[in-house]
Amino acid sequence: MDDDVQRAARKVRDVEQAVSEHVTRSGPITGRASSPDGAVTVVATPGGPPQQIAVSPAALRMGPHGLAAEIMRIADKAQRNANTRLHQTLDRVVDPRELTALGVERGPDEDELGWQR
Amino acid sequence: MRATEQLQRELAALTATVEHPNGTCMVTASPKGEIKALHLHPSLLKQGAQAVGQVVTETVQLATNSAVQISFNKMALALGDGMAIDVESIAGDSPFRSTWNPVVAPKPPAEQAPPERRQRAPRVEDTDDDAFFENPSWLR
Repeated sequence: MDDDVQRAARKVRDVEQAVSEHVTRSGPITGRASSPDGAVTVVATPGGPPQQIAVSPAALRMGPHGLAAEIMRIADKAQRNANTRLHQTLDRVVDPRELTALGVERGPDEDELGWQR
Repeated sequence: MRATEQLQRELAALTATVEHPNGTCMVTASPKGEIKALHLHPSLLKQGAQAVGQVVTETVQLATNSAVQISFNKMALALGDGMAIDVESIAGDSPFRSTWNPVVAPKPPAEQAPPERRQRAPRVEDTDDDAFFENPSWLR
């Protein structure tokens, strides 16, 4: 069991190093999404909580329930964008199936709202 | 093996609900940072757009940390502390170890909501001034 753990740890360290070298070159991997009217903008990280949630003054008129629903919708979209970007960035370093197995699912490629590099 | 599958199922469905220290926002999040539920107190919206963004961001981060910590705890319970330590050696420290408190923000939270206005208690009428005037040092 210890050998397995050490082997797994070594593999994780190797991948981590390859990923960190890659990310150093490409910049932090994040996904961004905004409401069509700019009410809510979310910058998300792959497999983690949103890094930044910005709300416009006009969005406050949506009320607590409407605004909460809009934040959830945009945060979900931003995280899917971040996950897809992670796949795109790491597809030469990590087997995409392993990323999917880790819970980082690749979304559709057509992202209209743009990536943040 | 069945225990492992059971653990995987539990971890996949796991969420944590956390309220911001200022009481204006409550978030249910998964360990992967997905927001499963979000409640905003009307008083938070009165603090302005920037405060809303900041408080929601902080609360989602706290809820995610809490969910990750619960995952570690469940794993340690099911597989034993030794295995949990092995996983930490691969995946990195649990929030409990890497933050001083997994359910409190590492930086000062957004400004507290103003306290609710309450009516003052009626002043008790006290017409007995004798005790005051008896001490001459108070009259200087």
